[in-house]
Amino acid sequence: MVSTLLVSLFLLLALIAVPIFGSSFLAWQLGLFLLYGVAAQGVGLAWGAGGFLPLGNALFFGGGAYLSAFALKATEGDLWINLGAMLGIAFLLGGLAFIVGMVLFRGKAGSGPSFSLVALALVLIFSQLANSATGLTGGFNGFSGYQPLGNLDAFGNFYFVIVVLVVVVTLALLLVHRLPIGLLLRAMVANEDRLALLGFAPHRLKAGVFAGSAFITGLAGGLYASHQGIVTPQAIGFLLSAEFVIWAAVGGRMHPLGPLLGAVAIGWLSSELRDSVSWWELAVACIFLVVVLLFKKGSFQIVETAINLARRAGLVPRTARHAVILTPPNSKAAEPISTIRFRDIHLQAGAVRILNGVTIELVDRGVLAVIGPNGAGKSTLLNALTGTLPVTGGDVFSGEIQLTNRRPHEVLSYGIGRKMQIPSIFPGLSVAENLRVASFAGRFKPWDFFMPQAMRWQSPMVRRVLAGAGVAFDTGTNDDAQILSQGTKQVLEFLIATAAEPRVLLLDEPAAGMSPTESQEMVRLVRAYIELTGASIVLVEHDMKVVEALSERVAVLHFGEVLAEGKFDEVRANPKVQDVYAGGHK
Amino acid sequence: MESVYLFALNFTWQIAALALLALGLAMVFGQLKIMNMAHGEFVMMGAYSWVLVEKFGWSPVLSVPVCIVGIGTLAFLVERVLVRHLYARPFDSLLATWALSIILRECVELVFGRQFYNVSLPLQGSLNFGFVSYPAYRILVIVCVMVVFAGLWFYYRNSRLGLRLRAMVENPNLAQAHGINTTRLSTSVFVLGCVFAGLAGLILAPTLSVYPSMGIDALIRSFFALIIGGLGSLEGLAIGTTIVSGMQSGLSAVFSQTVGYLGVLVLAVIFIWRRPNGLYTPR
Repeated sequence: MVSTLLVSLFLLLALIAVPIFGSSFLAWQLGLFLLYGVAAQGVGLAWGAGGFLPLGNALFFGGGAYLSAFALKATEGDLWINLGAMLGIAFLLGGLAFIVGMVLFRGKAGSGPSFSLVALALVLIFSQLANSATGLTGGFNGFSGYQPLGNLDAFGNFYFVIVVLVVVVTLALLLVHRLPIGLLLRAMVANEDRLALLGFAPHRLKAGVFAGSAFITGLAGGLYASHQGIVTPQAIGFLLSAEFVIWAAVGGRMHPLGPLLGAVAIGWLSSELRDSVSWWELAVACIFLVVVLLFKKGSFQIVETAINLARRAGLVPRTARHAVILTPPNSKAAEPISTIRFRDIHLQAGAVRILNGVTIELVDRGVLAVIGPNGAGKSTLLNALTGTLPVTGGDVFSGEIQLTNRRPHEVLSYGIGRKMQIPSIFPGLSVAENLRVASFAGRFKPWDFFMPQAMRWQSPMVRRVLAGAGVAFDTGTNDDAQILSQGTKQVLEFLIATAAEPRVLLLDEPAAGMSPTESQEMVRLVRAYIELTGASIVLVEHDMKVVEALSERVAVLHFGEVLAEGKFDEVRANPKVQDVYAGGHK
Repeated sequence: MESVYLFALNFTWQIAALALLALGLAMVFGQLKIMNMAHGEFVMMGAYSWVLVEKFGWSPVLSVPVCIVGIGTLAFLVERVLVRHLYARPFDSLLATWALSIILRECVELVFGRQFYNVSLPLQGSLNFGFVSYPAYRILVIVCVMVVFAGLWFYYRNSRLGLRLRAMVENPNLAQAHGINTTRLSTSVFVLGCVFAGLAGLILAPTLSVYPSMGIDALIRSFFALIIGGLGSLEGLAIGTTIVSGMQSGLSAVFSQTVGYLGVLVLAVIFIWRRPNGLYTPR
C-alpha cells in the first residue's frame, strides 16, 4: 500500500511541477496527452486486467466529450454543477458499457476477437452518427461555443483538474491490482471455467471491468471537451480508438502507468514529429509490431524487470505481506442440503446422444463412484450438474430445488463443488494465490471485492483437510502453480475445490496421472474431507484401487445408461459389467 | 422501367465488386483463421500498381504482372516472418496484421504521397442492351467474377484442399504427422489470398479513387460480409456479399448513403452477437 501511495505522490508532484518550471503552453500540451493517457488506461484496464481487447473505446471518450459539451452549454459556469454533470455522464457511459458487456460476454461471442469486432462496429456507427447529425453535433465542423468547466482557463488552472483526474485514476487502478478484485481478475484471465465453478460469474466480472473502462474513458473525454473547447467526430472515431490500443500496448497494458506513459511519450512525440519527420508514423507502427510480437507487457516490462532485479539485489526492501492469516466467514456452500437426484437425464450434443436416461441418487454421506469405459458419459453426467453442457431431457433435484441447467457459476451456492478431469488450476498465479482465490469462494459479500482484509483469508478447510490426511503440501509457496507436477496439481485442485467446503463434491478422475503413493494420498485426502464435513461425493475414476478404497456405492455407466449399481463387490461380480470391461459381447 | 433495369445492374455490380474484395479475406480469415487487418492494404497496393506502371511509363497491361509478382513476394515474406507464428493466436494476429496495415499504408504514403489518383478505364464505352446501356468495363468485371467463382466452386468441391486446410488449422502437428506439408500449405493460401486482394484492387481501381487509406472501407465491408454469410465457404461468401450489398444499395436508394452504411454496421453487430457463425455453415 505504501509503495502505491508513493508512486501516486511522485506522479502528483512531477505533474504539478510542469506549469511551475515549464510554460503554460507546455502544460496545455501535456494536458491533452494526459487525458489521452487516462483513456488509454481505460483500454489497459479492459485489456490487461479483463483479458478482452476493446477496439472501440473512443466511443466512450467521444461520447463523454460530446455529452459533457452539451452539459456545459446547458449549465454555464458553476464548477461543482459542471463536475457533477461530468460524473453523471461517466456513470451513464459506464452503465451502458455494463449492459453491453453483460449481453455480449454472456452470449456466444464471448470475449474473443468477436467482442473486439462488435466494439469496432459500434464506434464506426457512432462516429458516422456524429458526422451525420449536424443539427446536434455540428457534424464535421464540430460542436463548440460552450464555456469550459467552471470557466477555468484551459491554459491555466484547468491543467490541475486534469492532474487530479490522472492521479486519482492511477491511484484507483493501482489499488485495484492490490485488492481482492484484482486477484479475481487475474484468476479469471488465467482460467475462466475454474473461477465460474468457484461461484464467480466471469461475464459479470468482465462487464464490470468494461464498465470501469468506460467510466474512466468517459471522464477523460468529459475533460477533453473543456480542454479543447470544441468536440469533433475525430474524438469518437476509429482512428483514436486504434491509437488508445497502440499506446496501451507500447506502454504496457499490464500496469496502470504503462498506458499513461505510452500515450504521453508516443502521442506527444507523434504530434511533434508527425509533420516534420515523414517516416515517424512508420516508426511507431514498427515499434507497435515489435511490442506485439516480442514484448507482450510493453515497455513497462523493462521497468518491472529493473524493480525485480533491484529487489533481488536487496536495494528495494521486500515487504512481507499477508503475514497474518485471517479466518474468513463461513461458506454458504457448507450449509446442509438434501440429497441430489438425477431423474431420467438425457443429453445430446449435436448428433451425438451422450446420456440416454440416467437415473441416479447420490449417497447421503460418503462416496458414490461412477465408473465405465471411456465415452460412457461419466464426465458428461457431472457436466449435467454443473451446467457445463445443457441437459436436453430429464431433471436434477436437490430436495425440492430444481438444479437442471444452472449456469456453472450458480452451482456452488447450492453446495456443489467440482474438481475437473484435467487438473484445472489458475496458471500464472502462485500456489498461495490459487488457494486465496479458492478461499473467497462461497464466502464473498459484494463489498469484499474491495476489502484488503480478504487478501489474508485462508479457508480453514485447507489446513484441516491436509492435517487430517497427513499429506505434506506447501500452501504458502509463491511458486507459479503452472510448474507443479501432475500429481501436485491434482492435490492443489482438490484443495481449491474443497476450500468452500461444498456438501456435494464432484471428483473427476482425481487420481489420474498419479503414482500409487500419490493415489493413496488422494484417497486419504478424500476420506479426511468426508470425515470433516460429512459431504457426499461423486467420484469418477478409472483406478479401481481408489474406487474400492473409497466407494460406498458404485454405478456403472455404459453408452449413456446405468448398466449396474450396487456395492463394489456386487458390481464386480456382475456378468454384464465384466462383459463391458473384459471385452465380451455388448 | 429503365431505372429498374439500371438498379438491377447496379446491384449486380455491387455484389460482384464486394465478392471480389472479400475473396482474398475469405481465404485468409475463413480458412487460416487469421483476422487479416492488412487485407485492405493489399487491395490498396493492388490499385497502386496502375499508378506505379504509369510512373515508369510502362504499358498499362504490365500492371497485372507487377501486381501479382509484387504482392505475391510481399505476402510470402509477411507470412514467413509474421503470420507464421500467429496461427491460433487470434488477438496477436489481429494486432500484428493491424500494425502491418499501418506500416504498408505509411510506406505507400511516403512513396506516392497523400493525393488521390484516378485510373482511366481500360475499356471505354458502354454496352447497349436495347432497354438500357451500362459501362462495358463493369459488365466485363461482373462476367469475370461469375466465371472465377464458378471455377473456384467446382475446384473446391472436387479437391481435398478444404479438408487439408481444416486439419492444419485445427491441429497443425497432427496434420503434419499425416503427411500434410503445413508450411507450404499455409504459405500458399496466405499468398494466394493476398494476391486475390491485390487483383481485386487492381480490377476495381478504375471505378474508385486510389489513395493510401482506401483499404479501410474494403476491409470493413469484406469482414462484415464474411461474418454475416458465414466463414469457410464460397456459399457463405456469396450470401454475405449479397446481403451486405443489397442492404447498402437498397437503403442508400431509399434513404441515403449514410443510412446504408449504418444498416450494414448494425446488421453486423446483430450477427456477431446472435449468430457468430453466420448464415451458412458448411457441413
